Amino acid sequence: MAIVKYINLYFKLIGAGVRAQLQYRFAFIMRIIGMLTAYTGTAVTMWVMLYQFQTLGDWNFYEMLFLLALSIVSWGFCIILFFHFRSLDTYILNGTFDRFLVRPINPFFHFMAMKFEVSSFGQFIFSVVVLTWVSFELQIDWTIGKAIFLLGVIVGGVLIQGGLLVIISALAFWTTKSEQFYWVAMYPARNLTYYPLMIYPKILQWVTAFVIPFGFVNYFPSTVILEKETPFFPDAIGYFSPLVGILFFMLSYFIWMQGLKRYKSTGS
Amino acid sequence: MGQLNMYWTFTKKAFLRSAVYRFEVWSRTGSNLIFLVMWGSIWTALYAGREEAAGVSFTAMLTYIVVSKFLDGVNEAGTPLWDIQEKVRTGDISLELMRPFDVPLRYLFADFGSVAFYMLTALLPIYFLLFLFMDLTLPTDGFTWIYFILSAFLGFLIRYCVEMTFGLLTFFLVETGGIEDIFYFAMSLLSGSVIPLWFFPGWLETIAMYLPFQSIFFLPISIFIGQISGSQIYMALGIQLFWLVVCYLILRLVWNRASHKVVVQGG
Amino acid sequence: MSIIEVNGLQKEFFIAKRETGVMGAVKSLFKREFTKKEAVKDISFSIEKGEMVGYIGPNGAGKSTTIKMLTGILVPSSGDVRVNGIVPYENRQENAKNIGVVFGQRTQLWWDLPTIESFELLKAIYRVPDKRYKENMDIFQEILGLNEFINTPVRQLSLGQRMRADIAASLLHDPAILFLDEPTIGLDVVAKEKMRTFIQEINREKQVTVILTTHDMEDIEKLCQRMVLIDHGQKVYDGEILAVKERFGKMRTLVVDLEDTSKQRFVTGGELVKQEGNRYWIRFNRDEISASDLITQISQTHNIKDLTVEEPDIESIISRIYQEGFTEQQETVQI
Repeated sequence: MAIVKYINLYFKLIGAGVRAQLQYRFAFIMRIIGMLTAYTGTAVTMWVMLYQFQTLGDWNFYEMLFLLALSIVSWGFCIILFFHFRSLDTYILNGTFDRFLVRPINPFFHFMAMKFEVSSFGQFIFSVVVLTWVSFELQIDWTIGKAIFLLGVIVGGVLIQGGLLVIISALAFWTTKSEQFYWVAMYPARNLTYYPLMIYPKILQWVTAFVIPFGFVNYFPSTVILEKETPFFPDAIGYFSPLVGILFFMLSYFIWMQGLKRYKSTGS
Repeated sequence: MGQLNMYWTFTKKAFLRSAVYRFEVWSRTGSNLIFLVMWGSIWTALYAGREEAAGVSFTAMLTYIVVSKFLDGVNEAGTPLWDIQEKVRTGDISLELMRPFDVPLRYLFADFGSVAFYMLTALLPIYFLLFLFMDLTLPTDGFTWIYFILSAFLGFLIRYCVEMTFGLLTFFLVETGGIEDIFYFAMSLLSGSVIPLWFFPGWLETIAMYLPFQSIFFLPISIFIGQISGSQIYMALGIQLFWLVVCYLILRLVWNRASHKVVVQGG
Repeated sequence: MSIIEVNGLQKEFFIAKRETGVMGAVKSLFKREFTKKEAVKDISFSIEKGEMVGYIGPNGAGKSTTIKMLTGILVPSSGDVRVNGIVPYENRQENAKNIGVVFGQRTQLWWDLPTIESFELLKAIYRVPDKRYKENMDIFQEILGLNEFINTPVRQLSLGQRMRADIAASLLHDPAILFLDEPTIGLDVVAKEKMRTFIQEINREKQVTVILTTHDMEDIEKLCQRMVLIDHGQKVYDGEILAVKERFGKMRTLVVDLEDTSKQRFVTGGELVKQEGNRYWIRFNRDEISASDLITQISQTHNIKDLTVEEPDIESIISRIYQEGFTEQQETVQI
């Protein structure tokens, strides 16, 4: 009952968000071009890097592109749904966050539904083109099972990265800062995942598997789809991506609500 | 002399101001180190146990990356691109036109202050420890050190001119989305900050050689690890000096246009 | 039972200290000290249904902290709050259905969208039935004249229009209580006057209890029968506005610069509040004595070099009440 009403409300709210953004069409297109440039830049860097060396670990250029594209496709959805969480600090600082607290609905839901960032077409164009190209080059056999798994991985990736954005935003309740945490922690962490995790020190691999489970966004599932080995981890670990996503997101929701409780007692 | 004194005040003020933003200091250090680990790991994996590649030893390559991330830290302590853009959009920069100083110079001197603070409190101690405990190569003679510092300083100035110029383009563009990304791409790849130019495919190396970006990372670091030595060093410094003059002139040109626009059209 | 009951309300915050100087700057990188601030020390009051109450005090007095506790945004350190029988911070969502909130400087409307869309979204959020929605929109049109700008994006509205839309938006779900935080801030004289009429009509029409925080003494005078004054987190006055107006609203201060002060004489009808060199501040009640009478009295014995008459503003009234309490005044002074 309540959930149906919430879903209904969600679509109403994001509908408004989308209409608001479409008022700035030029900015919208420029952002897409910017994103395409940035990711193409990363891909070109990978190509230059492998021009001399052929492989990184035992990953060749196309496999690395697959890894990159898998990370970016779920990041695209993540931007749509959760990217505005990073600027919770600004909302708190200029007092607009209180608006979400004087309304009779769940504030997490209200905040989430407030924005629906439509500018992630750049991410989608890039990742779809790259995934298609790489599928040909690597002759990936897209069986139904693999395709469903890919969808599950994308959902898992959205939940993991979205969960981290939620946790980062929750930090604003304690420290009055969140946007900066995104740029100093999550942005570099996401960059780490553009490359196969096996090249990093063991401790870092362990962290990205079990603490901030970025490994489940693209690296572990990629090894399953590309049938590669994962040193230090069981080869089947990638299958857990969707589950890890759900658990991690639940945890992050809990942290956010704890933060809100704290905000209500300090007001800053 | 009085002029210099005034600009020096900006340096001092920026130094003190940096201390207030302690969170920035810690966070910038954190992300700098993450990227250091990332590129260190990538190069370790690329060498994959080989002693050398393209005539460059693994130790030299690792040193290259560490020095590069150090310079990264230095350069990022200055006023960042998005901040310049923000100042243009909010009109802060236009307001400064009314004051009796040269605006690009004023920001440069302020940058000296924040860079000095960041170097003293974070970069120098951390990278000193890194060099102490990691197996890296240090220049053995004092002259190389002097040339490196000189070259790195020239690189810093070039980077400043380029970044400021890109930032000032905000005066002429409604939306700057793509501009930033081109800048950051050039800064990371074409400057040789993560991949030295000698590993580039020939044609790309040639392109990079004819652009100013290599002066920011590639030339100073190559001097540091001894890839550029002897009379080549003077050549490198000459190239940097040339680009500094060119980039400075472009900055002046863009700035004059921008301030003209403010004066005539009110921003 | 009163619609709002506040008993022994307290709220403390901890604030980081700013260090000064170069060493302080470097030190603050590693260590930070905190000081305790009691934003609300001990406040009690109750408000009846349909009342319009001015809740006022200087900046940092604890006004918005109290309002936040009444709306469920903040949890008190101690004390009891009941709004319409509900404890706001325990049942925030339930409480939210009973209240409407307008923050004068920050809109609750969707900035980039036509105004009507905000109303439709709020209708969905508060689950206002279609019939009720239509009736209310008609009333708002009648009182606030919404239709003239209902299809304009919020960002293009004038400040006065935006405030009207914001007030309507906060009343859409028929709240029993309306919190207005600086509803006339930034408006010009005409728009202010209009806004006050709107608020009065809404209070009458919908029987809404209104709590108003403002810096504008006129807002209070025109709208409220009662006011609660707070300063430094404590209640300093709670009662009829008339009483305060009687006491202070009619008070003026005559500032005179005299040529010489050797001769002394009594002036009746005024009170000397301050003296600096040859400058005297004499407070008087304009109903009891006119400024010109006072000046005539003084000029009989002294040569007046310069003079001005000051009217009291809310800040000075509050600080006076805070310093002196609500006492009777003296009539005679010596200058």
